[in-house]
Amino acid sequence: MRLKLISCEVLYREMCAAAARAPHQVDVEFLPKGLHDLGGAAMCARLQEIADRADPAVYDALLMGYALCGNGVAGLASRALPIVIPRAHDCIALLMGGRERYQVYFENNPGVYYRSTGWLERGENMDQSILGIVKDKTGASYSLGELIARYGDDNGRYLFEEFSSYQRHYRQLTFIATGLEPDGRFEEQAVAEAARRGWQFDSVRGDLRLFEKLVGGEWDENDFLVVPPGWRVKPVYDGGIMDKEPIP
Amino acid sequence: MSDLYDAILNGNAKASAAATRTALEAGAAALDLVQREMIPAMDEVGRRFECEDYFVPELLLSARAMKAALELIRPLLTSSGAQPAGRVVIGTVKGDLHDIGKNLVASLLEGGGFEVIDLGSDVSPERFVEAARTNGANLVCVSALLTVTMPGMKAVVQAMETAGLRPKAKIMVGGAPVTQRFADEIGADGYGENAAVAVAVARKLVAAPQPA
Repeated sequence: MRLKLISCEVLYREMCAAAARAPHQVDVEFLPKGLHDLGGAAMCARLQEIADRADPAVYDALLMGYALCGNGVAGLASRALPIVIPRAHDCIALLMGGRERYQVYFENNPGVYYRSTGWLERGENMDQSILGIVKDKTGASYSLGELIARYGDDNGRYLFEEFSSYQRHYRQLTFIATGLEPDGRFEEQAVAEAARRGWQFDSVRGDLRLFEKLVGGEWDENDFLVVPPGWRVKPVYDGGIMDKEPIP
Repeated sequence: MSDLYDAILNGNAKASAAATRTALEAGAAALDLVQREMIPAMDEVGRRFECEDYFVPELLLSARAMKAALELIRPLLTSSGAQPAGRVVIGTVKGDLHDIGKNLVASLLEGGGFEVIDLGSDVSPERFVEAARTNGANLVCVSALLTVTMPGMKAVVQAMETAGLRPKAKIMVGGAPVTQRFADEIGADGYGENAAVAVAVARKLVAAPQPA
């Protein structure tokens, strides 16, 4: 098969490693991490635009290197190519090898901030400019200096405080080591970040099975949603996370 | 419009407090300031947000300016015996620590004349029920930012039901991944697509006639 993979850049190393060993020819297109900041509907609209560019004469299926991602794939429609999406809430579940393991970890470890190679090295360098107005919409990605320049000293400081206040509720930083790291540098960065923020640190071993199955064409019902042409993704908020429904 | 209206619209907290003081010293009635200046200003902020002229930072700054005025006005409202528009219990759902949106909605509801009991973040269904019962709340607002914590909203609806607090107390849900469809599925009474519309939805919910 020839497969087209559209993936968030946060999963860069994991997707590249899986695609390199895939039994199929996989063309990979990475998109900026900042797409998430657009919010569900706008993120989906951008994904749809890019998905619609995949030529059905060339590809057998379109793979998504995404999860439900804050409803960023809710409503994503298959036009001519089947779309395959792992059943997970977000990339942390993908990196952990499945939603079940993530759910257990999430419930037993409240207030965790997650890191992986992608979360540490991606998001700044890739051209995020296609996202245009995103920063203005959320404001949350501005630095203190940018906020002061834009809103004045008093209001800038207030906004920075508001946008970073959620971090006070976090208690722990968990690094997900997939085994693809060249050495200990990423984990060291994560340890240092946890210390800087005064959080506990935990390291868990990731699992690349969903990446391998995605590019390997092993799309069983339990782990993947396959959306045939004429159907679209519908979030369900139960164990299966998403389902398909006919495009009205 | 007045200085207070402008200060809120421009997100200037100091000017807002100063304009409030000046107006009160000149003999303005507290309730008039709320109804003729603050609520119209926040309605205009909401309108600008809707047409993407304002974004989240502007919303936060206007809410802050409104609170600065409200702090001066609230004691006068209380002593004059003015009744709140409703009594609201608000918090983020269990497991979800993201509270920027919830804080904003709480501020806007206060500015809209509601009495707000803010339970903070990571709130269990039991705590929502307990606070709603103790405070005689007629509205419970639940927020989530993660799809993984959204099922917890259904647990709040069910706990309120089991506790016999519905339909007297309405339940409103919101947060970036939450949709009207989800709100309907879990049996919530209302849904706010964003913070700017939350006050209007809340007013409608508390004004709805009680089923016989």
